[in-house]
Amino acid sequence: MRRRIPEMFLGIGFVGIMTTLFLGLNWAPSVSINAFESPAAQRIFYWHVPSAWAAFIAFGVLFTGSALWFFKRSPFGWRLHVAGTEAGLACGLMTVWSGCVWGAAEWGTPWDWSDVRLNTFGLLTLLALFLVLGRQSQPDGVETRDTFSTFGLYGFVLVPLTYIATRVWQIRHPGPVIGAGDGGGSLQSSMALVLLIGAISFTFFIIGHMMISMRITHLEQRLEHVQKSLDGGN
Amino acid sequence: MAASLLSLVDLEVRRGMSVVLSDFNLEVSSKDVVVLHGKNGAGKSTVIESCARLLPLEKGSVSHHGSLVVDSEGRRSLAKQPFGLTLQSNGLLGDETVENHLSTVCSLSGMKTNLLPILDAYGLAHRRYDRIGQLSGGQARKVAVLAGLLPAMLSSEPRLVLLDEPDAGLDEDALAALISDIGQLREAGHAFVIASHHPGIMKCATRLHDLESETVQQQPKSQPWQALGIQEKVSLLSTKTGHRYLRSTRAGMARNGLTALLVLGTLLAFIDPASLEKTLLVGFVLASPFAAGLAGDPVVHLMREQRAADWWRAHVNRLPAADFLAPVLGFVLTALGCVLFLDAMNWKLSLVGAGVLWMTLLCVRFIELSTLRLARPNAVFIRLLLPILILPWALIVEYSATL
Repeated sequence: MRRRIPEMFLGIGFVGIMTTLFLGLNWAPSVSINAFESPAAQRIFYWHVPSAWAAFIAFGVLFTGSALWFFKRSPFGWRLHVAGTEAGLACGLMTVWSGCVWGAAEWGTPWDWSDVRLNTFGLLTLLALFLVLGRQSQPDGVETRDTFSTFGLYGFVLVPLTYIATRVWQIRHPGPVIGAGDGGGSLQSSMALVLLIGAISFTFFIIGHMMISMRITHLEQRLEHVQKSLDGGN
Repeated sequence: MAASLLSLVDLEVRRGMSVVLSDFNLEVSSKDVVVLHGKNGAGKSTVIESCARLLPLEKGSVSHHGSLVVDSEGRRSLAKQPFGLTLQSNGLLGDETVENHLSTVCSLSGMKTNLLPILDAYGLAHRRYDRIGQLSGGQARKVAVLAGLLPAMLSSEPRLVLLDEPDAGLDEDALAALISDIGQLREAGHAFVIASHHPGIMKCATRLHDLESETVQQQPKSQPWQALGIQEKVSLLSTKTGHRYLRSTRAGMARNGLTALLVLGTLLAFIDPASLEKTLLVGFVLASPFAAGLAGDPVVHLMREQRAADWWRAHVNRLPAADFLAPVLGFVLTALGCVLFLDAMNWKLSLVGAGVLWMTLLCVRFIELSTLRLARPNAVFIRLLLPILILPWALIVEYSATL
């Protein structure tokens, strides 16, 4: 039963995400046609915000794993690092892609190079892509792990920067709708409910994804160890 | 008791995920010739590269002349005394001349000398002004070995020399000269750590080490080496070397200049400057220095050849850099852009362009150098991180449009 926990997380997450999509597209109320250029496109928000939330969880795991490897030489830490980068890349791409679709409909342009939030989040996603591709291009070893862990540690600076970006420099990306700090919050309760289901579902999904990723990395390490033994190395 | 020139204490080093050296200790004193002759993969090169502070240590420390140069806590400092190093890869740049490379090695020791007799002894006198890329493999190896021996040849003070497989590719005459020089330099008080299986080299060892146990050998007395060097004050060596690399290869123009000119040409081909607003035009003007910066530091690119960057990293804290390329090229490119897009030279904007290229090149150099210790630094996708520079560039363009 314990061996099936990651699959259970993935399954629950997947069902929750599908439910979120269904509710977001069919049940949640439409936004004001006066406030938005493209009110229908705003429904992508139920995908965009939870995936961004999950991406931040993944980047947090990446930071923790990087620190554990770099300071403690923990193999578990390296597995966390690998899982964090892969999950961060997946969720980052989902967020960027959905944001670009919405931007094209609402702003008339999918990307704005002068918006701090877009750039810092885009860069986080590129960092995850760099870590995934870079790791695959190098033989596994302490030099590789040290270098990529360092990037993971420094790259995490972008997470708080991304979080505060729309509070400090709101250029094009909308400000926060949750936890804005002004006691307001422009969300209707039904909208907030769909968003909450989405956030929980994405959390389950990303945890399941990372657990499976860690298991695969562990198996890869065992395979390499066995191959080395066959080669006659230590 | 002779002074300790090299001390390895409880060394543990990994290559890949394997522990290659564990609890390894070695003390090398003046007049020692330690030849490491373990089987392939035993860790001979790992010892040499650890001594040259090229590898991170899991445990232990390395000291030269009693001063710590690297330890497992991450402390690193330059060796206070110059030392000789020949890596398994030659660490040479194909576009350097033999004379230039060996003169640089002399400068790293703060000395100068007449190189002709040394080159003559190794059959390289007639190749003195040739580029290393034009030499045969064996001749290039001789240059690399001489670069390792020179710090000891120049100095009357005891120096440490690290040679990794120095015999590989040498002809009989050069090998005889090398063995003779090792004997004479040892007699003059210098110390050697050599990784080799060659019987001739093993014969000149005072200690034969297979990385597990050691055998002591007596060596006959020979004529001590007479130091050849004259003290010379050296400053800005990294900058001078970087610019010399660029002069001999024109890599700055080939990589950065041409990239920028291509960007300018492409923009001009499709756009009528008269129909555009000022911010956009300033963006076009500053696009070429920005693109030139994104092309990366040409000196770093050159030094990826034959582990030249590693050879330098062992000796200095700052790798060679062409510090004046970026501001000069940036100024010229922006001035050209001003004439093409704004119909007049703009001094302020040209200075901004010089700064854009300089800052961009510095950032790209920094992130490229940070992946240099990877096993395959050319394969890593480091340029994926360069979009971080677009936002500051866009802000500079907006500001420059108000000038």
